[in-house]
Amino acid sequence: MEKGGDYTHSIQIDRGKCIGCSHCMRVCSTQAIRIVEGYAVIQPERCVDCGECYRVCPQKAIYARDDGLAFMRDDAYKIALVPSVFIGQFPSDYSATEVLEAVKSCGFDEVCEVERAVDFMKEAYGTYADNHIARPVISSYCPAVVRLIQVLYPSLTPHIMLLKAPHDIAALYLRLSKEKQQDDPRKIFIYYVTPCAAKTVAARAPVGEAASPIDGTINMKEVYNKTVATLLGRKERGGRKHVADMSPDSVCWSLSGNEKHYFPGRSLAIDGMENVIEFLEKLESGHLSDIDFLELRACDQGCAGGILCPGNRFLTVERLEHRQKRLQMLKDQQGGEVDNRLMRYRQQLQPLSRVDPVHPRDGLLLDEDMEKALIKLQRIRRLMTYFPGFDCGACGAPSCRSLAEDIVQGKASISHCVFVQRVMEKNYKLSPDQAFVVIEKIWGRDRLNKYNDTNENEP
Amino acid sequence: MRLHFEIEGGDFTAAGRASSEVKKTLKQFHIAPEVLRKVAIALYEAEMNVVSHAWSGTMDAEILPDAIHVVMEDKGPGIENIERAMEEGFSTATEEVRQMGFGAGMGLPNIRKNSDRMVLTSTPGVGTRLEITVLFKA
Repeated sequence: MEKGGDYTHSIQIDRGKCIGCSHCMRVCSTQAIRIVEGYAVIQPERCVDCGECYRVCPQKAIYARDDGLAFMRDDAYKIALVPSVFIGQFPSDYSATEVLEAVKSCGFDEVCEVERAVDFMKEAYGTYADNHIARPVISSYCPAVVRLIQVLYPSLTPHIMLLKAPHDIAALYLRLSKEKQQDDPRKIFIYYVTPCAAKTVAARAPVGEAASPIDGTINMKEVYNKTVATLLGRKERGGRKHVADMSPDSVCWSLSGNEKHYFPGRSLAIDGMENVIEFLEKLESGHLSDIDFLELRACDQGCAGGILCPGNRFLTVERLEHRQKRLQMLKDQQGGEVDNRLMRYRQQLQPLSRVDPVHPRDGLLLDEDMEKALIKLQRIRRLMTYFPGFDCGACGAPSCRSLAEDIVQGKASISHCVFVQRVMEKNYKLSPDQAFVVIEKIWGRDRLNKYNDTNENEP
Repeated sequence: MRLHFEIEGGDFTAAGRASSEVKKTLKQFHIAPEVLRKVAIALYEAEMNVVSHAWSGTMDAEILPDAIHVVMEDKGPGIENIERAMEEGFSTATEEVRQMGFGAGMGLPNIRKNSDRMVLTSTPGVGTRLEITVLFKA
């Protein structure tokens, strides 16, 4: 697995493990995967890094590329930004303080919880609603959803909220507060411990901003393993903080159904890729009115269901809700006040929190030129009448439609369809040997050698 | 390029299928997001009109290099007074239809707002014909 370096997608395929089984190809919402020469291949213009393929890969051949702990710079002042869902990976008898201390011992100089920025987001949502008339506003929180809209729902891009996500705000706050202190001459490096591939990409190749305030991302699983080892290996129990330094429900912001309460008006929360897609289809056709805000999360249960979260998503949700209650108790003891240091920087953060409008990606585009695109579409429709229409996937494309599209784009040929192949063989347009070569081009060499006629005679 | 759809009157569960197909097709072309949205809304409203008021109808969409031209024809009660029907808020929808959240009298005005050319003709007791053109470049 590669670490560091340049990349614009986190989801990658490890050819050493991939057997071209096509499980990933079948679950991809944007039809971004094909099987070529026995391996899954991802089309970058369509991939939204949602990680659905990662979940289903039986070979564990799909991985989420990140910068990794090894990439950390020794000469820098290193800060780890840890999302609350990470703390929710541990049973509640471990305090947040203990978990964060253990993360720090992975080699960081400082650790900060991302959700500290939620109090800022809550305020920003109110102002945003006042200044933007177009409805509904779609949350920009989930980077996989933002990218899904860019690829599949181009006409909805103007609805995407033009605000940075909490982890970006938290990173900006850290920089502002460190600048003020200036007690350490080292350069600040901020690492985000990510629960998913999409957030890695958001830090690497952000949408709506030139560069992300995050310097690097580290896979949550990697940090989890180290943290567990530290927690198990220590001699005495760590402490527990007895102050509420952010509003209690902040810890649940990344789950489904909390964020939506902070946008004025009528709102709804939808989680899970399929549910999100179903809803966006409706929205794009203009079937909806009266909705002011949409909280959309690619993963079931929001970030608790992130592909890099090692624990059970439902347990994580329960633990975060439990922690919210505890924070509420502390807040009540403090006379209902919370002292969130980040909020002292709200004036400076405000102008930094905006992003530029999000533009569509052209992943679906047949051709820039309208006339050429029309001709291609005609051809696709004609090809569709030749194919069986039950999306068997034997051609290495997820559907008959995808194969037709690939053919007009010059990426596949009609003989890739096994049904068309039979007819071509019957009519002597294709020899059995040629048909063999075609299948091997899709499914890899020696794929067809597993069976030979003598096998049948064995007992 | 032409796309043809049959629309059944009164089948609200299927309403929007035809306009959704057209929208999906257009997404494969180099068309500005705002234009896509105009087409989607105009066609959805037009389809809803057939479903809400007529007994049956058809949608024929022709995609040209610079525009989409759509003809909706239905068999139904027709429109008595087209001028009034074009007024915002005017509706003949039954109470039943209104309770489902339709029939606010915004359908035709919305189609006009979201199209570059709109021709509506009707023979009461026979049916209605609606022609919509949306240009791809403003």
